[in-house]
Amino acid sequence: MTDETESHEVPPVVRIIDDDASVRAAVEDLLASVGLEARSYPSTQAFLDSDEPEAPGCLVLDVRMPGQSGLDFQREMTGLGIGLPVIFITGHGDVPMSVRAMKDGAVEFLTKPFDDQALLDAIHDGIGRDRLRRAFECEIAALLARYSTLNAGERAVMALVVKGLLNKQVAGFLEVSEITVKVRRRQVMLKMGATSLPQLVRMYDSIAAQIEDVPALEDAPVR
Amino acid sequence: MTFGLAALHIVTQRKSAKAARARRVFAALRRGRIGKVAIVTVLTAIVFAIDTGTDLEIATPVFYIMVILIAVGMFSRREVIRLAVVCMVLTVFSATLTRTGSQEAGVINSGISIAAIAITTWLALRVVSAESAAYETRAQLIRIARVNSLGELAASIAHEVNQPLSAIATSGNACLRWLGADPPNLDRARLAATRIVEDANRASGIVGRIRQQVRGKGPRKTKTALNAVVLDALALAQGEMARHGTVVRTDLAPDLPMILGDRIQLQQVLGNLILNAIEASAGLPPARRVITLSTGVARGMVHLRVKDEGIGVPEQDLPLLFDAFWTTKDGGTGMGLAICRTIVEAHGGAMNVALPEPCGLEVTVSLPVRAKS
Repeated sequence: MTDETESHEVPPVVRIIDDDASVRAAVEDLLASVGLEARSYPSTQAFLDSDEPEAPGCLVLDVRMPGQSGLDFQREMTGLGIGLPVIFITGHGDVPMSVRAMKDGAVEFLTKPFDDQALLDAIHDGIGRDRLRRAFECEIAALLARYSTLNAGERAVMALVVKGLLNKQVAGFLEVSEITVKVRRRQVMLKMGATSLPQLVRMYDSIAAQIEDVPALEDAPVR
Repeated sequence: MTFGLAALHIVTQRKSAKAARARRVFAALRRGRIGKVAIVTVLTAIVFAIDTGTDLEIATPVFYIMVILIAVGMFSRREVIRLAVVCMVLTVFSATLTRTGSQEAGVINSGISIAAIAITTWLALRVVSAESAAYETRAQLIRIARVNSLGELAASIAHEVNQPLSAIATSGNACLRWLGADPPNLDRARLAATRIVEDANRASGIVGRIRQQVRGKGPRKTKTALNAVVLDALALAQGEMARHGTVVRTDLAPDLPMILGDRIQLQQVLGNLILNAIEASAGLPPARRVITLSTGVARGMVHLRVKDEGIGVPEQDLPLLFDAFWTTKDGGTGMGLAICRTIVEAHGGAMNVALPEPCGLEVTVSLPVRAKS
């Protein structure tokens, strides 16, 4: 897909949020030494104010900061629509803290002073995860865009076909002729870009959660 | 991250501001001393003149009380007593000069006045000394609190110093990577090395400030009786001992030579040792929850021993006992004994630990006998 290749070309940017200027400078320089671009912010607010969310990458986050703590910020990120993978660095980590961070989906939880290789590994891991996530989101977006070109009749046919119903059953349920179902079904395959029924089913499954106007098919027969 | 240090800064600044103000006031006082002597002299003269010049049958010299009350706030105890004596002498002298009027009344008036002056002087001096004792106690309490909060301070230091240390480690790695690149990027490596030096200086600055803070003004050494310090510390630990059901046995040498020491700091050392002993005894059967405190003198040193009957420590760990951050207690900071040793060594003394038979731990504090000077 074109979107996916594009996101591969955008160079990743590692965001660093730490209140200590020398830690920021050191981490930024370490990343520069391995050819990674980094941008650092003294607080979560500064990050929110000026980060460019388009660039893929990951977030290196200090746990203890004046203002908002890194752990609290991690919890807020989903609500703010920030999907960047998080790597925590902390001066005084304890087990409950790291458990909470990992449960909330952190890539890694490192204690200062940390091993540089461990940090770089975590960052590469995080960037990889972010790329996958973005690619997946691109794919979903593309599928949804294609789905939006379907008209109501075609959507209804699609919803029933992916349940495994035969054309005849679909026609019966929708009270249209079997020919009509065949025409609509061909249109669905064409517009969605699916070459086989299993592929169409997979497409439907991955966007099902995001389809808002699902045709009312509660009492449709399931084969 | 800077909570701990910021607080420290504020305290230090406030302290130095206070000290500066005190110095200024003190200097002003010294400059104003002539003025004060003048005020008191003039007042005394006025009272004397009225007393001598009139033959009223009232105890005019009672007004010397005013002079005494003013003087109490301005002069030392000894000077106030001298002034009181002068006032009494003047009263008598004035009575002999006043020829007119009733002789009997004059004697009675003089008697009343002298009694009034004496009582006023005594009461005023008592108030002043009570005030200064209260002030002293408060100052001591503050110092005790400061030493007690050292444990919390240690945690804050750990965080403060960890930041630059972490930056140093990361910059060092970055520097190595710049040098290891092909071709090596010397400019970036140099920048990283410069950052390392700066951060190292920052870390040592933090340590220096903390050390200064912990040290305070250094021990205020006065002639001190170690046995009295022991009893003071025991009194402070009474509540804790009762709570843990610990019994204390004291064996204090009766004619212990005086030592030169900071009573509060030594009390802190002892308090710490006693609390350690209480904690070591806590899990034992009641019969073994006994702490023995003994004092004695040998080879120019005064010795104090604190012994418990707990499980002690493994013999190989004995040398570690005084290391900072080494602890056997859950949630202990490992600073207690390290601070004790710092204090004792600042007094020219030494601390030792031994494993007595059959069980327990014995800590010995040795302090030099006060030099005969």
